[in-house]
Amino acid sequence: MLNILVCVKQVPDVNLVKIDPVTGSLIRAGVPSILNPLDANALEAAVRTRERYGGSVTCITMGPDMAAEALRECLAAGADKAVLLSDRAFANADTLATSYVIVSAARLLGDFDLIFCGKESLDGATGQMGAQLAERFGASLVSSMSLLRSIDFEKKTVIAERELERGIETCEARYPCLFTVEKTNYRPRIPNLRSWRASRFAEITRFTSATIPGLDPAQIGDPGSPTKVPRTYPPEVGEAGMMIDEGSVDRNVEKLLDLLGDVL
Amino acid sequence: MNKHEYKDLWVYIQHDGKAVHPVSLELCCEIRKIGDASREALAAVIVGDLPESEKDRVLDCGVDKIIHVSGTGYDFFNTDAYTNLFTVLCRKYKPSAVFVGGTIFGRDFAPRFACRLPTGCTSDATQLIWNPETADIEFVEPAVGGKMMAVITVPDARPQVGTIRPGTFKYAPTGRRACITAEEIIDFPVGEIRTKILDFKADEFDESLNIADADVIVCVGNGVKGADQLPKYRELAELLGGKLGCTRPVFDRGILPFKLVIGQSGVVIKPKLYLAFGVSGAVNHVTGITDSDRIVAVNKDPDAAIFRYCDYGIAGDMDEVCGMMIGKLKAGKKLSPQKDVI
Repeated sequence: MLNILVCVKQVPDVNLVKIDPVTGSLIRAGVPSILNPLDANALEAAVRTRERYGGSVTCITMGPDMAAEALRECLAAGADKAVLLSDRAFANADTLATSYVIVSAARLLGDFDLIFCGKESLDGATGQMGAQLAERFGASLVSSMSLLRSIDFEKKTVIAERELERGIETCEARYPCLFTVEKTNYRPRIPNLRSWRASRFAEITRFTSATIPGLDPAQIGDPGSPTKVPRTYPPEVGEAGMMIDEGSVDRNVEKLLDLLGDVL
Repeated sequence: MNKHEYKDLWVYIQHDGKAVHPVSLELCCEIRKIGDASREALAAVIVGDLPESEKDRVLDCGVDKIIHVSGTGYDFFNTDAYTNLFTVLCRKYKPSAVFVGGTIFGRDFAPRFACRLPTGCTSDATQLIWNPETADIEFVEPAVGGKMMAVITVPDARPQVGTIRPGTFKYAPTGRRACITAEEIIDFPVGEIRTKILDFKADEFDESLNIADADVIVCVGNGVKGADQLPKYRELAELLGGKLGCTRPVFDRGILPFKLVIGQSGVVIKPKLYLAFGVSGAVNHVTGITDSDRIVAVNKDPDAAIFRYCDYGIAGDMDEVCGMMIGKLKAGKKLSPQKDVI
């Protein structure tokens, strides 16, 4: 039976995040948190794989308590189990520390054959989690996967297509295999009312740093993160450009085209 | 770990046996400047054989050292052999930083060897600064959808690993220096490579998707109402002898393909004329357009950030302005008054 894992993240909807003009800090209050959009494509790929070959899909995330909401979305969209890793000690983790916690917890849940991730998150957008999770799982890596073609259960291999810079590669990869998923062929399904309702009451397995045996405190959260963010600042803005305001669209465009006379 | 034992700045030279990937040369040129500031050598890591003429292009960027690696396992790009290779090399030579082009392949193996060492890995910096007080490289990049700039460092671990997107830095070779070559043989057992390439089908060459070198770009941003509005922007682009591009949210909405996304995580463009329609001006988009000769912005919000980056701005309805431009250009209005004289 295929044992499938999907790694997801809850992110603030960055399009709605504002910057305090005085302090330059982020105003996150009132900004909704959502399931990272590309993770929904990864989940869809995982669920379709289970529908075709059988098995079970587990979703895992690390985050605050409210990240359970993202997991419920996954359950509504077809995941069988959900696991939340939540602990203050996990906070301020970079990709290295995050991948360590996720893989340490996943090992308690069993051996996974296939692992699916989104290509990158909306907020951090490093796109590094897939590669680092694959490293810690000891898995082969198939990034930018656009189509899982077939699985050979005897050989324990997967044949999949990848969208590379200049074309489509078809490759064969051994179990365990981690995919980062392209959205091309895996548009997320809309859950029906019944599965949505069921997800509201579904059980979510929770782990803290204390309930993951053998977790090395030096490798989690801030201490376990080699990358640091010593400072942030508002982006520099240039001098305002020349605004064309001649009173009508017609005259504005006429003026613009005149101004562009020397460009081409 | 004493980070001061770690010296030299490395650039991985990605190549296909025939030509060096442009991003590797761009990185050599940019890292050369850091090496001059930090008084460290710039080393190019070349795996497998490269034609002499291509090796010359690497040398022209002012590298002090070539680490040439041969052995089994490198015939095709695969994460397993290359992760092992950089792990072995970094443990032996202790470089202070390793830079890898942010190609799909580079982004596969760089975070992975960083994890194995382990050390910190950053991606998509748009600016690199060497800080003499800390002896750390500051990786500066837009964060939170471009709403702020974040400085990222790897203060206590080495090497500092970074993947950088193609086009982020300029290819401006500063000339040759005395260069030594170190030969390394690192065999990776071919049977341990867990992925195998069965087939590769090159994209049918679609010139409209190749926007990096276009002279004119008409870019639609998140203000676009829907895919049904696109034909007029394409038409405008064609009338101006240019191509259509878009911002990240337009791709996220499924309206245009990723190859047309301009900005930090997409294509960096350098056109003579860039016209932004309904583009808000988030920094991760703006970092991809700053080398444009002339920037025009059209947005219905007069306070949109894009107006701070443009040469000329029109506050108004994007569809209306686009339609008007098409009308005037079709009616014989010329962009260039000089041509009228002839």
